[in-house]
Amino acid sequence: MEELKGKRGIIALIALIIITIGLLSSLEKLTGRVNPGISEVYNALAYLVAPNNLATWVYDWRGFDTLIETAVIYVGGLVSALVIGRGVVQMKKCKQESPVTSKPLEFRVESLTVILEYLGIPAAILLISYGIMIVTGSSTSGGGGFQCGVIMTSAYLLAAILYGKNNPIKFGKRFIIGIGAIGLGGYALLGLPGYLATGYWQYNIGADVWSLVPSILHTIFGDPFRLSLILKEGVFYSTPGIVPLINIAEAFNVIGAIGLIYFAFLYGWSDEGE
Amino acid sequence: MIESISNLWSIPLLVIIPMLTAIIVNFLYDKAIKPIAISSAIIILIISIISPYGYHWFCGHPALNPETLTFTFNPNIFGYKLSLEFIFGPLQHIMIFISSLILLFCVILSTIGLTKHQGPYIALLFLLFMSSAIVIMVNDLYHLWIAVEIGSLIVVGIAAASGTSISHKAALKYGLFSAISGAGLAVSLALVLGLTGFSNISDAIMYLKQFGIGEMSTVLYIAFGFFVLSWMYAGGLAPIHPLKSEVYGASYPHGTALLQAQSKLMLVAIGIIMLRLFGMLPFVKEVMIFLSVITMMIGVIMALIQIDFRWIIAYLIISHSGFVTLGIGLGTQEGLIGGIFQAVNDIIYMTILLLCCEALFYFGGKTSTKEAYDIAKKSPFIATATILGAIAASGIPPFNGFQSEIILIQACLKEGLPEIAVLILMVSVTTFIALLRGIYRIFLKPPELQDQDNSNVDLPKVLIIGIIIFIILSIIIGIYPDIVLRFIIPVVKEVLSI
Repeated sequence: MEELKGKRGIIALIALIIITIGLLSSLEKLTGRVNPGISEVYNALAYLVAPNNLATWVYDWRGFDTLIETAVIYVGGLVSALVIGRGVVQMKKCKQESPVTSKPLEFRVESLTVILEYLGIPAAILLISYGIMIVTGSSTSGGGGFQCGVIMTSAYLLAAILYGKNNPIKFGKRFIIGIGAIGLGGYALLGLPGYLATGYWQYNIGADVWSLVPSILHTIFGDPFRLSLILKEGVFYSTPGIVPLINIAEAFNVIGAIGLIYFAFLYGWSDEGE
Repeated sequence: MIESISNLWSIPLLVIIPMLTAIIVNFLYDKAIKPIAISSAIIILIISIISPYGYHWFCGHPALNPETLTFTFNPNIFGYKLSLEFIFGPLQHIMIFISSLILLFCVILSTIGLTKHQGPYIALLFLLFMSSAIVIMVNDLYHLWIAVEIGSLIVVGIAAASGTSISHKAALKYGLFSAISGAGLAVSLALVLGLTGFSNISDAIMYLKQFGIGEMSTVLYIAFGFFVLSWMYAGGLAPIHPLKSEVYGASYPHGTALLQAQSKLMLVAIGIIMLRLFGMLPFVKEVMIFLSVITMMIGVIMALIQIDFRWIIAYLIISHSGFVTLGIGLGTQEGLIGGIFQAVNDIIYMTILLLCCEALFYFGGKTSTKEAYDIAKKSPFIATATILGAIAASGIPPFNGFQSEIILIQACLKEGLPEIAVLILMVSVTTFIALLRGIYRIFLKPPELQDQDNSNVDLPKVLIIGIIIFIILSIIIGIYPDIVLRFIIPVVKEVLSI
């Protein structure tokens, strides 16, 4: 914060005030005049895919956006662990300053109360179960892969905080990196069937909204998740297609990425055993 | 001409192959990294060369024709796109080809020259290429934001990878401030989306042209302001230049080669989008020109006072980014051609200098003008290559830098800006002085102590091949600029026709 003292600080403050005023006046001008644009079309077509409109938006209409956003989480994990020491590289031929290392956190679990000692594990198990429930019902509920990943890694963190290094849900580093790889790799590869069948990457061949694939493919990818919607207007059938699978891949990716960050900060990093 | 294909096969592969390679090498960590990474980089290079032109509508949703209310998969028929649209045209062709060439050399050099456990680092190189490819191909504001975000994070990782305190400091500073820039771009996107309802850039522009902006021009100005902020961070323009130059100086030189290519791609891509979206507003071009001029001047002055060859190059990259943005900011045909051409040339000659700088690591790792001496005796090839790189960077014929700088000077004169034309000349001359100062001290100055190590060093063959290839490219483009200009001119005409 030293750099923001003096003239620089004053300039930064003036800039912040100008930006805030400009932004607020823009938002005020847009109030009540936001153009729905393409979202009207998305909403009109949403019933053709998952009952959870949000899941359809995120994993179908804008599914490729979400893949790269998911990659942001993956890169976040990768870079955080790198800052701690994983994958630090040096030139073979020259002497360089020793890499900056960070010590693992100290765990002091002696003061754990009896209640926490006995309720911690059930709470962590409940959190994991809740995460599984969220991801498996993602196409019909408001939740999804990201929420599942966050909840599950919360269970991991809870166990580490309560029981220290040798907690019951201690994942190995290779395991965590593997989970992340399966998640992001799985999400990316779920675009392949659509690409091979139609030429469009990540076309949802299970939902097949635009009737671009043979019925056999539509059945293979669509039927496992087919739902009957019983409404007062009648019974409708729809399938989210690959959306539930993407959600599961997303969950894996988030568990891998956030788990890796937790692991690196809790235990530090040593390249031994990798 | 861009073909009317909305499912071009190559576009997803240029994004997915680097991503999958990154995942695999990050997981493998040590085993089998080299063959997988090098073969992937070669495949990407081949795709970038042989790919035809066209569009890819990700997730396979059509466009809605607002007049007939029918859906179409034909990109030639106007419609509001439901899909995320990527374009692979002549501009993307030349930019991605050069980036993939640099990626290939970076990957090989990493597998040869770095200590073990290179998996995460090489994964970041592939992801950096992926983010650059997305930025230059995408025609969607929301996705552009995501690509800029992921690009910023990767820059942090590449800078921090050497694990030194300087690199950590540079990386964390850049990471912190790039979060502001990313948020700024998101706000800009939100305002444009609120105004038009479309995140597809062409659709948003079409909407603005059809319905006008009326009293909402203030909103568009604020969106422009946030866009400029992101442009400055992504490209390292003044007054944010210290953050980016620190990242360039703290990363390994081969990594910096890829980082500077990414920056140039971002400057071009975001600059063109700014011109297309906000070009109709008064003072927009003036702001862009002002930032460019300041960047050119500050960058080259800072380069003059550096004592480390890596940092001299780092600041010159910043300064020459100003050339790129100046051309785009002029907004004329000559200006745009000059700006984009300068981006291509800049990537090439800076790569020559950075690869030469990488070679210095094999002579003991000293790149400071106070510590390294007499390298020319140990390696006349590297000394010659560095001088040739410096000549190219200074805009001296027959190298490529000359061709783009002369176009930029002509564009400034045509626009009635002779003072900026003179400034371009001054920056070129100062570039030569800054580089020559470093070259003399490191390569030509005799050692102060006689017990200097004069043993011969075997440089990796791939490093020498890389330097030769980029020098040849620099000379060929310098003599036959049409090789690159034939890719740029149609794009510029299309941008201006919109």
